[in-house]
Amino acid sequence: MKRWLLRGTPLVAFLALWQWAAWVPVSFNFPTPWQTLAALAELLGSGALLQASATSLQSLALGFGAAIVIGVPLGLLMGVVRGVGRVARVYLDLLIALPTAALIPLVILSFGINIVSSAVIIFVFSAPFITMNAYGGVRDTRPRLVEMARAFGASWRQLFTRIIVPSALPMILAGLRLGLSRAFLGLIVAELLLSPFGLGRLIMNSRSMFEHDKMFATVVWTLVLSGIALAMLARLEARLLRWRAA
Amino acid sequence: MTPLTAPEPAFGRAGLAAVAGLIVVWEILGRLQLTIFIPSASTVAAAWWGLVRDGTLSRSAGSSLVSLLKGFVPAAIFGVALGLAMGRFRTLREVLDAWINALMSAPLSALVPVLIALFGVRDTVVAATVFLFSFFVIVVNTMTGVRGTERSLVEMARSFGAGEAALFTRIYLPAALPAILLGLRLGAVQAVKGMVVGEMLISLVGMGERLIYYGNTFLIPELYAVIVSVLLVALVSATLVQACEHALVRWK
Amino acid sequence: MSEPVGIAIARVSKSFGAVQALSDIEIQVKAGEFLALIGPSGCGKTTLLKCIAGLVPIDSGRILVGSRAVSGPGGSEASLVFQDFALLPWATARENAEFGLLLRGAPASERKSAARRALAKVGLAGSFEDAYPAELSGGMQQRVGLARALAVNPQVLLMDEPFASIDEQTRRILQDDLLRLWSEERKTVVLVTHSMEEAIYLSDRVVVLSPRPGKVHRVFEVPLPRPREALDVRASADFARLVDELWQILKRLQ
Repeated sequence: MKRWLLRGTPLVAFLALWQWAAWVPVSFNFPTPWQTLAALAELLGSGALLQASATSLQSLALGFGAAIVIGVPLGLLMGVVRGVGRVARVYLDLLIALPTAALIPLVILSFGINIVSSAVIIFVFSAPFITMNAYGGVRDTRPRLVEMARAFGASWRQLFTRIIVPSALPMILAGLRLGLSRAFLGLIVAELLLSPFGLGRLIMNSRSMFEHDKMFATVVWTLVLSGIALAMLARLEARLLRWRAA
Repeated sequence: MTPLTAPEPAFGRAGLAAVAGLIVVWEILGRLQLTIFIPSASTVAAAWWGLVRDGTLSRSAGSSLVSLLKGFVPAAIFGVALGLAMGRFRTLREVLDAWINALMSAPLSALVPVLIALFGVRDTVVAATVFLFSFFVIVVNTMTGVRGTERSLVEMARSFGAGEAALFTRIYLPAALPAILLGLRLGAVQAVKGMVVGEMLISLVGMGERLIYYGNTFLIPELYAVIVSVLLVALVSATLVQACEHALVRWK
Repeated sequence: MSEPVGIAIARVSKSFGAVQALSDIEIQVKAGEFLALIGPSGCGKTTLLKCIAGLVPIDSGRILVGSRAVSGPGGSEASLVFQDFALLPWATARENAEFGLLLRGAPASERKSAARRALAKVGLAGSFEDAYPAELSGGMQQRVGLARALAVNPQVLLMDEPFASIDEQTRRILQDDLLRLWSEERKTVVLVTHSMEEAIYLSDRVVVLSPRPGKVHRVFEVPLPRPREALDVRASADFARLVDELWQILKRLQ
């Protein structure tokens, strides 16, 4: 009980600060927490929020799904075949250092203003991290376990499926969590720029109509949505990795 | 708790070879004129040089770097301070830890419209975005560094009568220094990302604005030139911090 | 239960690049014998063990386990027990014990019962079988390692400093349990160890290797009566004398 009280303090402090900022007001039409909540209820009721969320999540599923399907096997390959790993990691390191948002205009030019662009952008935001984590997971495999399996007569295929992949799983899952957070980041930036789509469009629309309460509400909703998605992934991770230091 | 992957600067022979190879392939693909969206490396280099000569690049880069510093320096100072405090004081950590972690993995780009509502369409938004993007990474890494200090070292210092201040300066800070510097390096990379996102969303100044502009006007070689420049800024920032790292942490 | 077999190590040499680890090793291990390999660091005892297991290919000479020449790892003759246990952290004790059988394609029900039997033999029956290695102490983890080695019904047991990572009190218990187990099944055992007491306490013969390059320096008989775990052999004068003799030999090799 005391823990919840402690944990809740920053939230209360934040809400108080927010309320004060709206009261001052720090800028034109700055909504109070209550106004934001009311706008949230209205948007949910009208279905606008849910529809925008569905569109956004579609892009996310496409882009993030592709990132997993391509990134994880690629990372595993990089770890197993040394040459591929050494070359590919240079490109991936560059991609990770690069502010990926810089590529958005290029993607939009190449693919147009549609869900494909969104998905490609999300892919580029998340895939390098997923790949590098899978790669790292393979490289972290304890050589002793490989030696033990060989001693008991494991074939190359068995080494891969029964030692390397399970060893890499913790880092793969951490990479997925990181990738998902990056995917949401890319989704929002893409949609704020691309406009005709999803939650980003809703935010920009509300802003251009100076309906700041609706804009704040959508932002809050987006943050909550991403928080829930990440929490779900974290729970999946915990269940799959039950065997860790008990 | 996995901090974000840190980019190793692509130096070393394998790295240079890979980059050189990339440029060669790029040049070939560009020459083949497969699509206007892939200009050859030489065309991009020419466009880049053009931007340098007419001052566009230095103007926008200058604005970007100012915003970068205005956002990163406070993030570094407050981030390390908060990280040290959270690492040292358990109650503070228990109160804030979950929130800091949640914010670190949140799509902070969603907050940029809020920042615009707060500050208006100005370059302050960019500095604020830079701050947000880098602050949390720095806090988390600093905190991890402090918490990772070996208990035996703390007990040893205590047994010799060290007080709080001495403990901090002689035990916690040096022990946490590698982690702090890692956090600053990751923070620098994140800061550049924040800079670009902020600039692109307000579309007013800096290299981010140039990206939007060249995108809208189909000036593709120039677009590529700015992308490469942005990448260079990111790499140089990370390398600078890493140089500090090597200078300060020679005992590692 | 398979019959124990002997091991013939004939003129075996092994180099790693410029470093010669083993030179012209000649050892005959009798069927059902308990042999200890001891020597200073760098004498190649672990390398020799891995050569017998087929993990490390030899440069010259021949190793026969029973009548079969060793050509690679995973033959059904020899099982390995590791110093750092080498358990799969993501598998339960029973799943770990099943691992050798799993690799050989044994059906699930057969694996399960064989693993259970093996775990019972090493004293880990019951609720332990669903525990993960992180939940087990070092001694228990090594028992699982031993169960895994036994579950594939080997003719030869190869142990690489199996108790080195375990505290002394647990180590003594494990040593006695090992002796008890061995007396029931009389497999051929080759044990690599750093500890003179352990070598004398457990084995019938001790082979002392000299370092760089590894050569057979001495073969040392241990004529102590068995069953040693029941006779409180450690307290006897003979035991102390043998340990000291072994130490004198080793001292000159340092």
